Amino acid sequence: MKKLERKKTLIIALFGIGIISFGCNPEEEKAEVKKQVILEAEEADGSYPYKRLSTYGFFEGEITDLNATENVVLYEPASSLFTDYAWKSRFVYFPEGEVAQINEEEEIDFPEGTIIIKNFYYPEDFRNPKKGKRIIETRLMINGTKGWEAWPYIWNDEQTDAILKVVGGSTQVAFTNSDGQEQLIDYIIPNKNQCKSCHNKSEVMTPIGVKVKHLNNELNYGFETKNQLAFWSEQGYLNGFKGLEAHPAMINYETESLPLDQRAMAYLDINCSHCHSAEGPASTSGLFLTYDQKDPMKLGINKTPVAAGNGAGSYIFDIYPGKGDESIMTHRMNSTEVGVAMPEIGRTTIHTEGVQLIRDWINSLESE
Amino acid sequence: MEKVVEAFIMAEDGDTIEIPGGFYSFNTQLIIDNKSDITIVGQGMEETVLSFRELRAGGEGIKLVGKNITIENLTIEDAPGDGVKAQHTDGITFRKINVTWTNGDKSKNGTYAIYPVQCKNVLVDEVIASHSRDAGIYVGQSENIVVKNSLAFGNVAGIEIENCDNAEVFNNVARNNSAGILVFNLPGLPKSDGKGTKIYNNEIIENNHENFATPLSDEPNGNTVTMIPPGSGVVLLAAKEVELFNNKILRNKTTGVAIASYQITGFPSEAPNWSPYTTGIYVHSNTYERTMDFPDLTRELGQLISVYNAHGKAKTQDIVYDGIFNPDLGEDISSNPMRVCIAETGIEEMHFTLFDLSGGEDDIKSSADYAPFQNCQVTVNTKVESLAYL
Repeated sequence: MKKLERKKTLIIALFGIGIISFGCNPEEEKAEVKKQVILEAEEADGSYPYKRLSTYGFFEGEITDLNATENVVLYEPASSLFTDYAWKSRFVYFPEGEVAQINEEEEIDFPEGTIIIKNFYYPEDFRNPKKGKRIIETRLMINGTKGWEAWPYIWNDEQTDAILKVVGGSTQVAFTNSDGQEQLIDYIIPNKNQCKSCHNKSEVMTPIGVKVKHLNNELNYGFETKNQLAFWSEQGYLNGFKGLEAHPAMINYETESLPLDQRAMAYLDINCSHCHSAEGPASTSGLFLTYDQKDPMKLGINKTPVAAGNGAGSYIFDIYPGKGDESIMTHRMNSTEVGVAMPEIGRTTIHTEGVQLIRDWINSLESE
Repeated sequence: MEKVVEAFIMAEDGDTIEIPGGFYSFNTQLIIDNKSDITIVGQGMEETVLSFRELRAGGEGIKLVGKNITIENLTIEDAPGDGVKAQHTDGITFRKINVTWTNGDKSKNGTYAIYPVQCKNVLVDEVIASHSRDAGIYVGQSENIVVKNSLAFGNVAGIEIENCDNAEVFNNVARNNSAGILVFNLPGLPKSDGKGTKIYNNEIIENNHENFATPLSDEPNGNTVTMIPPGSGVVLLAAKEVELFNNKILRNKTTGVAIASYQITGFPSEAPNWSPYTTGIYVHSNTYERTMDFPDLTRELGQLISVYNAHGKAKTQDIVYDGIFNPDLGEDISSNPMRVCIAETGIEEMHFTLFDLSGGEDDIKSSADYAPFQNCQVTVNTKVESLAYL
């Protein structure tokens, strides 16, 4: 039996401190950060999760340079989930001597001990990313004895390490965007269990990006450009890859030369379908947004909402063909209000380009 | 606060999370992630208050997933989305919790106060749910359900059972909502249809609240609840096998009971494994009291009742039936093809209206003829004993 040993008296005492020494609060917070930084060095004894990201030894040299060590492989899905314009640098750590396998369902079975590493950072100036960056958080998904589990690490101000923080947090981020505009974002680091809001297939923690369809494409590794699954196979990390044509492959929704409907479906797949699928948490809605969705009703065409509440705005259908600005889908993508905004977590800003893509696509659909 | 967040995150099977008295303001969600035999317990509704006013991301204040989970003795306030949601949980009990929004009845309030969905063995007992912009107590796509001894007020819908099987709703008070108790089946959901609901011994009183599911200046949107006319006691929409008995249905200004098919919404009415028709309804032994207030005119369904009922314009109705039937099951409503049985003593004194909407909007007819629906009964089977005495 777990008890919260915070009885009423203590709560009152805390309020008291807050009132009396309000001016000192920032100092106290700083002190707390420092205390975390000088956490005693950990031993990499294999009992995950470690308290410090550095203990895993994923990176060599300056940790902020994210130079991967042996058995840590860069990857990048074809299309990227929008997270407040954060840049992402992703790696898979393969345990020594173990091999992943593509199974009959075109899913990759990763060996126990695999760790997926996703770093979220902002260049100071998107136009010149080499100028400097700030890494905000690193999320690890560790494939342990009980399956995948997610652990959020928050980087310190000094950018010397990241510390495990299961309750998540928030921080302000300033950067110059690709149009040269100054931006300020209230970035939210989700708590551990919120990770499951997306990484969830029939209530089992599941990776999103490391799927065959997302990785069956070329990536520039710096020293060569190669199909990611071919590269993994060549390096001895993967079995079962039979070449590009033999497996499904997603497109990048940002590739403007590709057909609009394909781009829209790729966008919805990577941004929505982890929840909006028959096995996802948003199955309650009956709105299923995987890239291969062919049933108009499941895709939201002329479909009324179920539990959308505020999210419906003044609109009747999820997708009202021909009416990109009168569809619940674009309404929710175009909002930052909690309870309206979709996805529910992972963004506090509007993905203008994404909204425009979906708006254009809905406008292109023939109305009945 | 962080301690509580951490207690939810680190919870192990079999844990009890005790939350001492106090006001807690959270900016992140409280989530139980697929754990068994978890009890979350406060020191009482008045003592332990969890506020989600500062929540900055997430669809609900508290989310519970797992097996055999109980949440009791606390208050949940001001969640931007839903108050407390349980999903994919076999064995979920909400007991003595108060879920509300503290700014009164605003269209900016959250959607559902208490929200079990895709669950089995759901018990809602002695809760208070108020001021939600949709349903106070909403049970969706679930099976084996008891909602009892609870109070729902100031919501758009008091208690709603949607796409569910095997539910009993009894000893509750639904007061001053726009509509008291609803049984719906909506199209296009993973649990495509539902049947078997008993609603008895409830007080369904003065559900005359404005419908604030959309801002008052706005038209209804695609959410069905936005179309519900204020002043509705019980609404059965595309409902299957419902027994409504021994309730006090008092002073609901539009109608005590509305029996309707989904076509009445005007939305597309086709979906796999789902029927838009309301069938197998048994209404008996209820107490009715009409009001002298005008029925609702803000919603199309209110206008229909107010203008076209069989007892005179602007007269409150006790029971209305839209008369929409499946032509495959009968040629005429007088053969009662949808098995709608009404056995109320004193029906001859009541305001019963049967509509005939077959002629379209320009030729709406109605009659007070209750005869086709008399002298029959429907056996509704529910089996919830194991929950009712928990």
